[in-house]
Amino acid sequence: MNTASSDNPSVRLTGMADGLRVVLDPKQPIDFLQSELNRLFKPLGHLAINTRVLLDYGEAEEWEGAEEMTAALEGFLKESFGVGTVVRPPKKRREVEEILRHRDMDRSWQNHRSDVLMLTGRVRSGQKVTARKHLLILGDVNPGGEVVAGGDILVIGTLSGTAAAGQPDREDAIVLSLDFRPTQVQIGTIVAAGLPSSPTKQTEYAYVEDNTIVVEDYLEADPFGRLPWPEVR
Amino acid sequence: MSGKIIVITSGKGGVGKTTATACLGASLALLGKRVVVVDMDIGLRNLDVVMGLENRIVFNVVDAVKGKCKLAQAAIKDRRIDKLYLIPASQSDNKNALVPEDMVRFGEKLKQEFDYVLMDCPAGIERGFDNSVAAASEAVVICTPEVASVRDADRVIGLLYARSITPKLIVNRIVPHMVEKGDMLSHEDIVDVLSIDLIGLVEMDDQVVVSTNTGIPLVLQKDSRAGEAFKRIARRMDGNTDLPIQIPQTSGKFWKKIGTKFGLGR
Ligand SMILES: Nc1ncnc2c1ncn2[C@@H]1O[C@H](COP(=O)(O)OP(=O)(O)O)[C@@H](O)[C@H]1O
Ligand SMILES: [Mg+2]
Repeated sequence: MNTASSDNPSVRLTGMADGLRVVLDPKQPIDFLQSELNRLFKPLGHLAINTRVLLDYGEAEEWEGAEEMTAALEGFLKESFGVGTVVRPPKKRREVEEILRHRDMDRSWQNHRSDVLMLTGRVRSGQKVTARKHLLILGDVNPGGEVVAGGDILVIGTLSGTAAAGQPDREDAIVLSLDFRPTQVQIGTIVAAGLPSSPTKQTEYAYVEDNTIVVEDYLEADPFGRLPWPEVR
Repeated sequence: MSGKIIVITSGKGGVGKTTATACLGASLALLGKRVVVVDMDIGLRNLDVVMGLENRIVFNVVDAVKGKCKLAQAAIKDRRIDKLYLIPASQSDNKNALVPEDMVRFGEKLKQEFDYVLMDCPAGIERGFDNSVAAASEAVVICTPEVASVRDADRVIGLLYARSITPKLIVNRIVPHMVEKGDMLSHEDIVDVLSIDLIGLVEMDDQVVVSTNTGIPLVLQKDSRAGEAFKRIARRMDGNTDLPIQIPQTSGKFWKKIGTKFGLGR
């Protein structure tokens, strides 16, 4: 017989304020578990009737047959001893998951390899700069200059040339510039040309909404200021 | 002697490259330097006309580069200004008659003979441009206050940087009263976009046309504002970098002076 040693029994029974707690090793065969339960519950007699039972599989990881085993044991306990509800302990979040959530709020960027191409200088007429993902230019893009990116395009200076962000098909990309006066903007597949430029230098950005390119004052719109915490883009 | 080869270029046509080449060549020669101006606009020669030397042409730059004549035979001496020489373009060839490697070799020869070699570059950015730039170590970009001219100048500046040449800028054909009314780009607008060192501002001046027609060099004419501006530019090119740049103004006003603002002291 598959017996449990006294200091590490396969089935244990303890009393709780609002019922009984059964800790058992789900790796044991069901017949054995039932006989052990029988042995432990019999002496309780009528005390077991209508009590709440907490079925705890201890350290065992969640496995596929858990529901089935719970149902079988619940049926057995109700039929044999007339217990009340049979429940399982509230699911604990697994540790890895816990760490992930923590990191999300904390510094998701720490292990992030940057995909930003950051350049300084001036993109002149006839020149073309292409970035696989985001493009950041500390400088200007002259009329006739061209900047293209798989992700966002940020020009810390004047953008007077053409900018194509989110290439080939990412419509959530943006184009931002401290002095926004491009001759043409493309985001994903959507193109806007002849954008009216403001008479004064203005930090504006372009994004896609309902298949159209919208240009807005960046500081007023503050599109990312509402995110609860910093995220990798 | 080991002179400097400077290319005068712009990308766009009709902005004043040929005018500037003639004026700067003459001014540098008046400063006592041995100067040769080379018309690289092969097939469309006109530097000879601007300098009033068209009926003295026997050989041209293609002949000289290809060794069909001696350098001394192709270099025409100016009638009025000592130490100024012209190597004219060939009218019958096209730009593919020369390759950049030819020009590098020819440039070495010219540097032995002259203090300054000014290459009058044709419009465009193809072979004619490549040939004109091949031997040059310095460049002057001519731009007029027009959007298209600025765009082309910008393109050319990028190409020059790609050849490790840091160009200097001349803004030509400025009309002061239009700039003041806001009807013309100001030189500040242009420098903002091109962001290279400014070496001079030249205003629109009827004397330029008069000079071409009479054959009297602009820089020898009295009271030509454009001529004066080119003379000052020549002095800056010749090392007098502190000479302030004068901003053309409508008459009656004093000329404003800007100096180190554009980093000419460098
Ligand atoms: N500062 C100026 N004022 C008036 N006319 C000018 C001036 N500079 C150039 N021009 C005129 O403009 C035209 C084009 O000049 P040119 O020197 O031949 O240009 P490019 O060599 O660049 O084609 C010519 O007719 C010339 O006389
Ligand atoms: Mg010309």
